[in-house]
Amino acid sequence: MFTVFRYTLRRYRGQIIGWGVGLGLMGILLVSMFDSIGTQTEALNEYLSVFPEEFIAFFGDFSDFGSPEGFLGVEFFSYMPIIVGIFAVLIGSGLLVSDEENGTLDLILAYPVSRTALYSGRVLAFIVTSVLILGLTWVGLAIPMSWSSLKIDLDVLALPFVSLLAQILIFGAISLLCSMLLPSRAMASMAGGVFLVASFFITGLAKIDDTLETVAKISPLNYYQAREAFEGLNGTWIAGILGVAFVLIILAWWLFRQRDIRVGGEGGWRFSLPFLRRGA
Amino acid sequence: MSDELVLSAQGLTKSYGRVQALRGIDLEIRRGEVLGYLGPNGAGKTTTIRCLLDLIRPDGGTLRVFGMNPQEKSVEVRARSGYLPGELQIDPNRTARAALRYFNALRGNNVDWAYVNELSERLQLDLKTTIKNMSHGNKQKIGIVQALMHKPDLLLLDEPTLGLDPLMQREVLRLICDAKAEGASVFFSSHIMSEVEAVADRVAIIRKGVVVEEAEPTSLINRAFRRASVRFKQAVDVEQLDKVPGVRVLSRDDGTSVLLQVEGEMENLLKALAALPVIDFETERPSLEEIFLAYYEDEGQEV
Repeated sequence: MFTVFRYTLRRYRGQIIGWGVGLGLMGILLVSMFDSIGTQTEALNEYLSVFPEEFIAFFGDFSDFGSPEGFLGVEFFSYMPIIVGIFAVLIGSGLLVSDEENGTLDLILAYPVSRTALYSGRVLAFIVTSVLILGLTWVGLAIPMSWSSLKIDLDVLALPFVSLLAQILIFGAISLLCSMLLPSRAMASMAGGVFLVASFFITGLAKIDDTLETVAKISPLNYYQAREAFEGLNGTWIAGILGVAFVLIILAWWLFRQRDIRVGGEGGWRFSLPFLRRGA
Repeated sequence: MSDELVLSAQGLTKSYGRVQALRGIDLEIRRGEVLGYLGPNGAGKTTTIRCLLDLIRPDGGTLRVFGMNPQEKSVEVRARSGYLPGELQIDPNRTARAALRYFNALRGNNVDWAYVNELSERLQLDLKTTIKNMSHGNKQKIGIVQALMHKPDLLLLDEPTLGLDPLMQREVLRLICDAKAEGASVFFSSHIMSEVEAVADRVAIIRKGVVVEEAEPTSLINRAFRRASVRFKQAVDVEQLDKVPGVRVLSRDDGTSVLLQVEGEMENLLKALAALPVIDFETERPSLEEIFLAYYEDEGQEV
């Protein structure tokens, strides 16, 4: 398992550097901007007050935009689930199936590596990659705090990242499960992406439309804490999200153990509708 | 070759949806034996090999490799096996050396690297080249090295000489013979009859998911039809030879020579020829390729 983990992590080094450094640089830029924005808080609040509530619902509470937590909550953490969610969907959907589609899994699984070991090594590498990307992003936010007036204790600054990690894992797990159920990685990515975007909109709209509250309960982003995480994490939400992600990962593992490994290429549907059968 | 059974399949079946790839395969390979697995495209050769490694699960039948069920003891079976897939795909961004080091790591780093270098030299494989810059033949060489590098007890090779030049094809056959000499069993599929004939102890011909023939190459050749060429002193009525049981006239000239195909014993033909003015009589046995093609032709007729 550790060989698979090591080599998978090495393969993801481009992802770690690309996503981690990119988001870290964005963090440096944002925190550096806080001082100039901070002097214009009143003007900004006045400007934001004319925004429709539908818009505000997606980007958090603008009322304390002038505080470090409020600023980061709105300018950074409010839309981070979508950004890291894209990463989670892409990696989760291709964690095993991309190798199957390009034909390399056929040879890897002919080696004395059990499917469980391969699966565990890949999932572990995905988790560690996510942690490293979020870690680099955290560093990106922390570095400019030495010269900026935006100051947050570094351990408190880590709290929204814990909530983000839980979101990465749930969307990664959903996409991984989709890749085991659907015929191709492309379809799994699409399904995971649709669920991510739908989750974002349903969660946002549920804040202004009570009728969507029930639907929003099945949306993972409903349990994401951006600005709120600075006040303390909701342990039940985190445990719930991680618990569901764990169940989905176990389900995907079970499906991976059962499936026939393709020589290469995309698969087909495992059932055929009677009315689609030739000659029927 | 010993009597120790390394691989056995009984009644192996496998379907892909409504397509029945294997319809009850029965096979056995003993220690130190080389089995050539012949069949046209889509006959079920690759499916059989992939079932042995638990890459796909058979629908029915019994499978034992080293006395173990590959579905229950897949890691143990793979640890003692070397596999070359028919459609080899390796991460194109690695060098050959990096790819082989990765495969070695997957085997628990138990490969003798001096042997890897020896194999690479024999196959003239440059380990420093990045795989995406390699020709198909050179990629195939990596596949052969990775299958052999841990000196497995069982080699499963799906068309091992595919894409190789004649010199390298010969070297691969030597490597198979070397592996056999060291006690390894080899199960290899091929379309090239001459190489099967050269190295296989036994041949199994698969057609539409069923093994239709299994024998030693020489026995297969001896059992099959043979050709007889006859020259006569003067023109004769060759139509009478067409009526001899087991004899078919393939070509005739002006009645002074004839080419015949004879199935089974020659006795009836010799009796018929005794009454004719024969001045020359030659027989030849078909090559394994001709026998294989005969199975192909049968298939074509059925279709």
